[in-house]
Amino acid sequence: MSNINLQAAETPDVLTGGQGTVGDYFALLKPRVMSLVIFTALVGLIAAPGAIHPWIGFVSILAIAVGAGASGALNMWYDADIDAVMTRTAKRPVPKGAITPGEALGFGMTLAIGSVLALGLMVNLLAGALLAFTIFFYVVIYTMWLKRATPQNIVIGGAAGAFPPMIGWAAVTGSIDLGSIALFLIIFMWTPPHFWALALWKKINADYSSAGVPMLPVVAGADETRRQILIYTLLLMPVTFLPALTGTVGLLYTLANAGLGAIFVYHAWRVYRVREGAEAEAACKRLFAFSTLWLFIVFALILAERALGIAAFAPVLG
Amino acid sequence: MNDPMTKSPFGPEDMARRRRRAIAMALVLAALVALFFITTIVRLGGAIAERTL
Repeated sequence: MSNINLQAAETPDVLTGGQGTVGDYFALLKPRVMSLVIFTALVGLIAAPGAIHPWIGFVSILAIAVGAGASGALNMWYDADIDAVMTRTAKRPVPKGAITPGEALGFGMTLAIGSVLALGLMVNLLAGALLAFTIFFYVVIYTMWLKRATPQNIVIGGAAGAFPPMIGWAAVTGSIDLGSIALFLIIFMWTPPHFWALALWKKINADYSSAGVPMLPVVAGADETRRQILIYTLLLMPVTFLPALTGTVGLLYTLANAGLGAIFVYHAWRVYRVREGAEAEAACKRLFAFSTLWLFIVFALILAERALGIAAFAPVLG
Repeated sequence: MNDPMTKSPFGPEDMARRRRRAIAMALVLAALVALFFITTIVRLGGAIAERTL
């Protein structure tokens, strides 16, 4: 009797498993990240030349969303040790003990394999392969390798978040085109200034430092991060005009994007220049908030052009 | 002392959580059945009725 109780105490995975609520499992999917993935994948799907049956389009978005959720669950499985020491992530289901690492791994792998098979078999093989690569990139390249190895983690790892519009596009065309690469590049270049603005504003250096994660503000300091934010923002601006050159968008996007880009650069410049006190913090907060809104509006403009029937420019590239 | 061989280690809260998880899983499975069925019909297309038997 007492032996059994002792065994129970020593095998927490067996006897403390099965504690997670439906909400805990939902949290494993990183629903906020998933909503961005759904939106950008939808834009890729609608921006792509050609047509897709609405139901197959729905299946595509669903599979991409579930694949993104799988990435989140696998990330939380692997990162449970560092999540536990960071205040921002300590309440995630695995570190708080609601879901065991084994359960998170099983849940994530099931969703990953299921979503890739569903997209590959029900839509097309290229889209399925791209989704598989995206999950692999986020979990293995970013989470397991780069995140703990280099301050450029968020730069290269940002590619994982940039793939969804390319997958949505591939679901329609069955190919990778310059148009989808342009959408990929926008998110890829947007991620570093967006994330680093958050890192400076929230002052999460102590968190990352104690977790041993070499985020740029921890390793290189706030001034260098400010410089990098400005550089990436300036590099992002010409990239945002690529969809016009590839014949994906028209006048509305191009004009609105020019104005929005100027505001983005202004906020990045403020972060670069204002380095002390509450004003510096406010500048970082404003850049983070605006960059979030910026990405939404830029991609929504593509949807708006399609909805309004605004013709795209003739492609210069591709 | 409770006999661990006869008493379930799960309390009423655990059982309630398990029940809710089971219901959620049943709903997901039912949705998948519908998803696969509708997708099959859509992928087959209208010409399926005109095939040679």
